[in-house]
Amino acid sequence: MAFINLRSIYSVAKKEFMDNIRNKWIIAMMIIFLLLTILASYLAGGQAGGEETFGGMEDTVVTILSISTLLIPIIAIMLGYSTISGEAESGSLSILLTYPIKRIDVLLGKLFGLGSVLIFSIVVGFGTGGLIIAATVGAAEGIAYLAFIALTSVLGLMYLSLSICISAFCKKRVTSIAGGVMIFFWAMIYGMIIFGILLATGITFEEFMTPGFAYPDWLFQSIFFSPGDMYQMSVMQAFGLSQAFGFTIEAPEYLSLGILTFAQFIWILVPLILAYIFFKRRDI
Amino acid sequence: MITKTFACPDCKTRITGQGNPGEKVQIVCPNCGKKGVAVFPSVKTEEKAYVNIIEIINLTKHFGKVRANDGVNFSVRKGEIFGFLGPNGAGKTTAIKLMMGLTHPTSGEVRIGGNKVQIDTIDIRKYIGYLPEQIGFYDNLTPVQTLNFFCELKGVDKSIVMNLLKDVGLEDTIDRKVGTFSKGMKQLLGIAQAMIGNPAIYVLDEPMGGLDARWVKIVREKIMMLNKAGATIVFSSHILSEVQNVCHRVSVINKGKIIAENTIDNLNQYLRIIPRLEINIPGLNGKVPEGIVNIQGVEMAEAKGDLLLVTCDSSARPIVLNFIEKKGMTVSNFKTIEPSLEDAFVKLISKQEGVT
Repeated sequence: MAFINLRSIYSVAKKEFMDNIRNKWIIAMMIIFLLLTILASYLAGGQAGGEETFGGMEDTVVTILSISTLLIPIIAIMLGYSTISGEAESGSLSILLTYPIKRIDVLLGKLFGLGSVLIFSIVVGFGTGGLIIAATVGAAEGIAYLAFIALTSVLGLMYLSLSICISAFCKKRVTSIAGGVMIFFWAMIYGMIIFGILLATGITFEEFMTPGFAYPDWLFQSIFFSPGDMYQMSVMQAFGLSQAFGFTIEAPEYLSLGILTFAQFIWILVPLILAYIFFKRRDI
Repeated sequence: MITKTFACPDCKTRITGQGNPGEKVQIVCPNCGKKGVAVFPSVKTEEKAYVNIIEIINLTKHFGKVRANDGVNFSVRKGEIFGFLGPNGAGKTTAIKLMMGLTHPTSGEVRIGGNKVQIDTIDIRKYIGYLPEQIGFYDNLTPVQTLNFFCELKGVDKSIVMNLLKDVGLEDTIDRKVGTFSKGMKQLLGIAQAMIGNPAIYVLDEPMGGLDARWVKIVREKIMMLNKAGATIVFSSHILSEVQNVCHRVSVINKGKIIAENTIDNLNQYLRIIPRLEINIPGLNGKVPEGIVNIQGVEMAEAKGDLLLVTCDSSARPIVLNFIEKKGMTVSNFKTIEPSLEDAFVKLISKQEGVT
C-alpha cells in the first residue's frame, strides 16, 4: 500500500482552499498586498526623482521588501496556526479522521491547500501590482520580479510549515495563538540577539554602518537561522543587488541563490516532519 | 414484557397475565382456586447465535492521573442496537474515540470485524458512520460542499448528497454557510454525514444531545430504521429514556469502568429491582384491602381506583392474589410492571459508589 494517497490529499487541499479563500481576513490581506505594491511603486518613483509617477520593478521591490517580510509571515501564520488545534477543538477533525484517510494525507492536504491560498493571494496582490508597473513604467527586470513573487511564496511556505507544526503541537487554539506570535517575533528576537553578539565582539555601531565594512563570516552564516533574512538576501541576489536599506553588502559565495533556496527548502521540510510526528501522536 | 393467556387445567377459565420473558409466576385460578405455574416464553432472539462485530478488550486510557477508561470490556453484536450508558464524565466519549481510532489507548485494544483499530487503519473506516459528541464542520462551506467533501473521502458518488440533506430535513439550507448553522442543524448535518455510503456500523456519540423533542423522535426513528435495514448501531447517552425503548442491549459505564452489560430485562433481574404487581379489582374504589401489607414478601401496596399496585417478591404474588380472592374480591386482570432503566441506573451507580 502506498504511503500517501494523492486523491485524499487533493480532496483535503481543495476543501482547505475553498474554506480559507472565503475568509475575509485573507481577502483583506490580498487587497493590502495590491495597494502596497502600487504605493511602493509610487514612492519608489518619487524617491528616484524621475518623471514617471511610478518607479520601476527593482526600486519597487526594494521598497516593498521590508514590508512583505512582515506581512507574508502574518498571513501564513493566520492560515496555519490553528489548522489542526482549532479543528480538533471545533470537532471537525474528529469527523474527518474517522474517514478512510491517513493523517499524513490530511497534513499534506492542509499544506497544499493553505499553501495555494497563500500563493494565490501573493500572486493576485503582488502580481497585479507588477502588471500595473509593467504597463506604466515598463517590464524591465520582469523575470527578477517573477523571481520576487516566487521567493515571497517560499517565505510564506516556510512560515506556513512552521505554523502548521505549531498547530499540530499545541493542544488548544489559545496556545496556538501564543505559538504563532512567538514564531512571528522570532525574526526580531533573533536579529537582536545577533546584533547583541556583534556589539559584544567589539564591533561598534558606526563600524557596522560604514559602507564597505567587512562583516564577519558568522554574521552571514547566521542568516540561515532566520527565514526573513534568507528571503531578503535571496531577493537581492535575484535582482543582483548589493545595496539595500542604505547598506552595501558583499555577500560571500555560499550565499548564492541556489544554496539559499536549498536552505529555505530545509526550513519547509523540517517543521513539516515534526508536524507529522506531533499529529500522528496526537489524541483527537 | 409479554402478555399471555393461560387456561386453568381443571375448569378451563381463561386468565390473562403479563410477565418478563422466561419468568415463572404462580397463579391461582380465580374460578376453582387451583394453583398452577404460568411460564412466560423467553424471547427467541436471546438464544440466536450472534457475532461480536465490535470487541472492546481491556481498554485503558489515562490522561495524566485521570483514568478515563480503566480496563473497559464489552462487545457489540452484529445487527443490534447497543446502548452505551453512563453519567456525564463517566468515560463514554473516551471509549468511543478509542473505538474510532482517534486516540491512542494506554493499553488494551478495540477490534471491529476482527481487525484491530489503530490510528491510520483505513480499511475498516469505509464501513463505519460516526457522529462525534462535539460536532464541527468548515465554517465557510455550504452543507452541499461539506457532504461532497466527505463523499470524496469515502469514495461515494456525490449524487446522494441532496437526498441525504432531504433525509435530515436540511434541504432548505443548501445556500447557507455551515458556520451560520445552529447546534441542532449541525447535529443533523452530522447525522447526514454519518449515513454516507450506507455503513454497516454506526457509532453515534450522544446523537440526541442538543436536539429538541421533535428531532429526538426523528433521530430515534432514524436509528430504528437504519437498524431494520441491517446496520449495527452503537450509541451513547446519559439520558435513559432515550435508550430504553430503542436498545437491544446496554452497557453501563461509570468512573471509567463497565458496571453492567446486559439486556435491560436481565439488568433489572441482576439488580433485583422488584417489579410491581398491578391487579384489576372491580369495585375496589381506591381502598387497599386490609392486611395485605402483612403478607410476607410484600413491601408496599397502594390503590388507584379499581387498580391495586403491590410491590412484592415474585414468590408472594400468588399469595397476594389468593388473599384478595379470599377477601371476596374478583381479579379481572393482573400484570407485572417492569422497573425502568432509570431505576437500574441509579441503583447501579449507587452500588458501585458504595463499594469504592
